[in-house]
Formats: sequence, structure tokens, C-alpha cells
Amino acid sequence: MDYVLLLQRIFDALFNSAIYSSLALALVIIFRATGLLNFAQGEMATFTAYIAFVLLSGPQPRLTGGGLAGLVPGVPFSIPLAIIGAVVCGMAAGAATERALIRPLGGASDLALVNITIGLLLATNSLMAQWWGTGPRFFPSIFPTGAGQHFVILGARLRYSTVGVWAILLSVLVLLVLLLRHTRAGLAFRAVSISPSNAELVGVRVGPTLMYGWALASGFGALAACLSANSVLLEPSMMLRVLVYAFAAATLGGLDSPKGALVGGLIIGLSQTLIPAYVPFIGFELSVLPALLAMVVILLIRPAGLYGTKRIERV
Amino acid sequence: MITSEQRVSRLSAVGIALLGVALFVIPFLTSTTSLRQASQIIVSVLAVLGVNIATGYGGMISLGHGVFVGVGAFATGYYVSDLSLPWLVAIVLGAATAGVSGALVGLPALRIKGIHLALVTLGLAIVFRPLSKRFPSITGGVSGRSIEARFDAPGWWPGDGRMASSVYRYVFCVLVVLVALWATWNVVNSRFGRSMRALRDNDTAAAVYGVDLVAARVTTFALSAGLAGLCGALQVVLVPFVSQDKFPAQESLIIYASAVVGGLGTIWGSVLGVIARTVVGKVGSLAAGFDGLGPIGEFFSLLDEPAFVFGFGLILLTFLFPRGLAGIRRKDQPSQ
Repeated sequence: MDYVLLLQRIFDALFNSAIYSSLALALVIIFRATGLLNFAQGEMATFTAYIAFVLLSGPQPRLTGGGLAGLVPGVPFSIPLAIIGAVVCGMAAGAATERALIRPLGGASDLALVNITIGLLLATNSLMAQWWGTGPRFFPSIFPTGAGQHFVILGARLRYSTVGVWAILLSVLVLLVLLLRHTRAGLAFRAVSISPSNAELVGVRVGPTLMYGWALASGFGALAACLSANSVLLEPSMMLRVLVYAFAAATLGGLDSPKGALVGGLIIGLSQTLIPAYVPFIGFELSVLPALLAMVVILLIRPAGLYGTKRIERV
Repeated sequence: MITSEQRVSRLSAVGIALLGVALFVIPFLTSTTSLRQASQIIVSVLAVLGVNIATGYGGMISLGHGVFVGVGAFATGYYVSDLSLPWLVAIVLGAATAGVSGALVGLPALRIKGIHLALVTLGLAIVFRPLSKRFPSITGGVSGRSIEARFDAPGWWPGDGRMASSVYRYVFCVLVVLVALWATWNVVNSRFGRSMRALRDNDTAAAVYGVDLVAARVTTFALSAGLAGLCGALQVVLVPFVSQDKFPAQESLIIYASAVVGGLGTIWGSVLGVIARTVVGKVGSLAAGFDGLGPIGEFFSLLDEPAFVFGFGLILLTFLFPRGLAGIRRKDQPSQ
């Protein structure tokens, strides 16, 4: 076995791992608080990546779909600024979604919530196709990605972009932990995640707190989309496959465990690169299949995942 | 005094009469192309009905029924061209193959429920295209394959040429869809149909009353996948070409959305869902054709996109009419 090649593949996989971890985190934050899987998370994130794309390009009617050109500020943004802008827009969109579409439903059935998020997925996807076309677009990377831009460790190349994306993910995570542990809103959010009714009894305003959670989650989603748009190419359905990996990662880690999302993303990212490399039938394009199978097996054998809370059903 | 129940049935009678007239008149008015399109629309009722059986009657959310349509289409193409089976046998076997694949998916559904099942079926819908590219001898790989066999009118059929064959295919599809609707109606009103609904509403209670949960769930899923597979088989009858290109994940979601928008838990709802999809698309494409409407024109061209309309429709109906279009007139009953 060629160990340098193996190490190289692991290094390559780490980039995707970070993306899956952050999208899985977005899913977990919402699931933990509301028991709802946001199927539209990927499309909402893609939408924000398009916003970053528009901010980067400045007002060009060709890109912004006619009527929207007037809304774009004149000067093209730099890449980090455009991504921050997209994340802020994503957070606002997430909060608005919670307020307008989820909260009015109250504690509706699974079916109603699935309908809402699937509806959002379909509508957002075709809106993007309409405004920006279905063709893939080049999205610049925030990190240097040229030929020589890597460290060499034990003969394998670790790209700067991989290191950078993990640095961003980890620093945002630290920020999230600080936010949850040391602010009143964070305390309220943790209380609502554990038990909405008990939190309400002690005076936490559940609605606004959930809105805050949705904003955080959508921020993570936006970050994932903006950081991955360079490698998967920006197109309306780009996050659909990524969403399967992220769901697999979240399921593997336990749907209500942020730590699980991180570990799950790592494992799924590695397996996505390593399984096709050593099992010829799978190939690159079919690498979604092992992720799906992993998801099914975990749901069948251990629905709580690695770190999730076990649910006990009384019959 | 007219009760709500009677009013609904009178409305249905009018609707059925109108539909019957439309179905009868269509072949006299159109070209071969639009007759084929009409047939395709009619056939798509079966896929929506399939979702309705699984989700509306069985309570198992399925976001992946496009997969079973695909399996039905690929299988029928394989049977009729590679195995040279007669069309009728190939269609039945194609639907049955989809049914068996549905039973396989139904097995995990024994333990995976609710939102998690939605997740798994969505994953299935996304995996289907790359997976089918892996079997090029059956699916034609990336570019698809055309089926040599043609479903042409036999000698006794009046008239000849392309139009006669188109009308023949149209009549065949309409008859199959009507028989399938009738059969489904009988199934959901049978003992098995009642156990299906009992399962949806409260599986523990259903088990206590003697419903075999495993058998009922797997049969429901197989039945619903079989209907979707029949839709795929008839698609091959209409257009002898199969390709993975026709089964993106969005297609599965649109089928699901049509079922919900039309109304889950009523057979009539599936027909309404398809009618809604057709009417809104037509209005959109007509209106988008006019120049000079400005932003309004841009909005109308969105109406031409079934994904947008149904995405929007799903959200709107969930708030306004949780029972779908079929349930608009039955507001007095509690929503499920």
C-alpha cells in the first residue's frame, strides 16, 4: 500500500470534511431546538453564495437578473467582505424563515414541516435557476489555490485552502461556544433546546430564541456554501449532493449533537474520498451511495448516532 | 337541506363528467405531438397516486418516488428490447419490478419513521441518477438509450399512419390509468385500506387491533412504488427512449408536491394535483410569451417552472388548506 498516496487522499478529504461539518452543524442546531430537519438548508446556503457572487461582480444586469441590478452597491466587494455580506444575508433570511413560515405553524405535524421545507427547497432552486441560469459559474477562492500553494508533510501535499477552511470553521466554532456559554441569548437558546415548555415557564421568550437559532444555523450554511463554491462550481443545485453528505454526517454524529456533527463530517468526508479510491465500482460520482447507506444503517441500528441523545418511546 | 358531503359528491360528479368529455375530445383536436404530451400528463397521475398511497394513506413520507418511475421505465425498456417480451408483459413486469424495489425500500421504513424516512427517500432520489449511470447496458449510461420496439396500433385499429398510432397509445394510457384509479379506489376502501389508514393514524393501536405492521407497511410501499413504476412503463410506451436525465431529484420532489397540493388521502386529490400542475404551467408559458410585461412577465415565466409553482404552492396550501385542493370545500372537518 502506498502510504504517501493514502496520506495525500486524507489531506484532500479534509477540505470536504470541513464543509460537511459546517452544513451538518447548521442542520443540528435547528434539529436540536425544533426537531425539524431543514431540507431547504442547502438551497438557502446556495442562494447566499449567489449573493456573494453578485457582491463580488458589482452591478452587472447579466448576473443579477435585470430588476435586481439596482439593489447592488456600486463597488465590487473583496472576497472576505462578500462572504461576510452573504453570511449576514443568510442569517437574516434564516431568521425571517423561522418567523414567517415555521412559527405560525405552531407545533404542527412532521408532514407540514416537511412540506414547508421541501416547498422552500423547490422554490429557491428554481428562483436561482431563473435569475442566474443553470450553468456553473466560477467562484473565486478566498485562499491562494495556485500550483505551489501547499505545505509538504511526509511527502504529501496539504493545501493552504484546506488549512484555511479548518481555521475558519474552528474559529467560528469557538465563537459559537462563547456565544452559547457566555451570553444571555446563548443561555436561553440552550434552555429552549433542552425543553421549550420548561424554558417558557421560567420566562424565556421561545419564539425569538428560535429565530436566533435559525439565524445561527443559516450563517453556518452560508459559510459552507461560500467556502465550497470554488471547488464544486457555483450552480443552483450545487448543495443538493452536499446536503446528503451533511445529513449523513449529522445522522452519524447524532442529530442533536453539535460535537457529533463535527466528528460525523470528518468521517463522512474521509469516506467520500477513500471509499471511491479503493472500491473501483463506486467511482467519484457514486460516492453519495456509501453516505446514504451509512445513513440508513445508522438510523436502523442506532438512531441516536455516536453522540446523540437516545430517545425512549413509551407505548 | 344539502349536507356538505352531498355537495362534495355533486361537485365530484360534475368534475368527473367534465374530465370525461375532455378525455374524449382531446384526440380529435390535436397533433401527434400534443397528443403525446397530453398522454404524458395523464400518465403522470399514476406517480402522484403512488406518493398519495405511501404518504396520504400509509403515513410514510416519500420524497423519492421519481426513483420508482425510473426503475419502471428502465425495467420496461430492458424487458421489451433485450428480452424481446411482448409490450403488455413488459409493462406488467416493469411495474412489478418497481414494486419489488419499493418493498426493499419499505423494509427500512419499518423502523425509520416520519422525518427520518423523508430524509432517506430524499437521499435515494439524489443517488438514483449517478447509480443508474453505473448500469449502462440497461440504462444507456449518461446519454440514455432508445428502445427499438414500438408500441404501434395493431391491424384492427381504425385508420393508419402516425396519428392512428398516437391515438392508440393515448387510448391505451387513458384506459390503464382509469383501471389503476379504479383498482386503487377499491384497495383503499378494502380491509387492507383500513389497516393502512389505521397504521398512519396510530400504529400502536393498529397493532393492538390485529394489523400486521410489517406486512402492511411493506405492501403499502410496494403498491405505491408499483403505481409509480407503471407510470414509468407507460412513459416508455409513449416515448421509446430511457435516460437517467429524466429523473433528477427535483422530479421526485415535484411528484411529491403534486400529491400534497392536490390533496393527500383522497384519490381525487392526485388527479387534481396533476391538473393544477398542467393549468398553472400553461398559464405561465402563455403569459410569459407576451413581450413588454416587464417584471410581471418575469413573474409569469416563473409560473412556467413547475418547481417554483409547487414549491410556493406547498407552502401556501400548508397554511391555507392543509388538506390540499381536494379538501378546500371540506373545511368543517378537522385537518389530519
